[in-house]
Amino acid sequence: MSDWMRRVLESKRAARGRLRALSFSEKLKLLEKLRERSLAIAQTSLRRRAGKTR
Amino acid sequence: MKATLEVINQMQVEGIIGQYAIGGAVGATFYVEPAATLDIDVFVTLKDTPGSTLLSLAPVYDYLTSRGYKTDREYVVIEGWPVQFHPPADALEEEALQQAVETEVEGIHTRVITAEHLVAMALKTSRAKDFARILQFVECGILNPDKLDLILTRHGLLEKWEQFGVKFLRGGE
Repeated sequence: MSDWMRRVLESKRAARGRLRALSFSEKLKLLEKLRERSLAIAQTSLRRRAGKTR
Repeated sequence: MKATLEVINQMQVEGIIGQYAIGGAVGATFYVEPAATLDIDVFVTLKDTPGSTLLSLAPVYDYLTSRGYKTDREYVVIEGWPVQFHPPADALEEEALQQAVETEVEGIHTRVITAEHLVAMALKTSRAKDFARILQFVECGILNPDKLDLILTRHGLLEKWEQFGVKFLRGGE
């Protein structure tokens, strides 16, 4: 594994650890944002068009 | 989410539901990093319907729809969040509901299924997203191995756990 990839993985692990350490209330606020984004993406015309071709 | 929990707590106060606990992706968020989800899974004890051996969610739906909340397939949308109510389907879910941990969300009391029960339930369901969730729990090292072992043994899931280990854990160790 290259140094660059090792740094990427370490950074990801650290970010996940920081998220995990948040309080439940803070995590749920993030979940709400994630949900809003997911719904917004699902409503974009590009996504709807992609769905029709399946 | 806070407003959703307040409504569910009020249902409990009014006797529409008994004990409840949050499971699924929202429950998992209590222990691991948040992962996108569109709904809330709530495991709940219900009152017996007189003259019936089946547990009915009708009182739950009646209560909520009479207060203006809309249903959407198997969900009721409560304060913006689709909520699916699950009466325990087996002994594992029954136990998970009983042993859930108490917590608070912005000052609102609630209960969340234990990490070990969430893992056992995910293992039982065995969809791709369940395996991903189990890996999250394993990677962050918060599972109590003895407690998990007892649960898996009690509910006949040891063989599945072994298969999961062979497929997803051993190669990476």
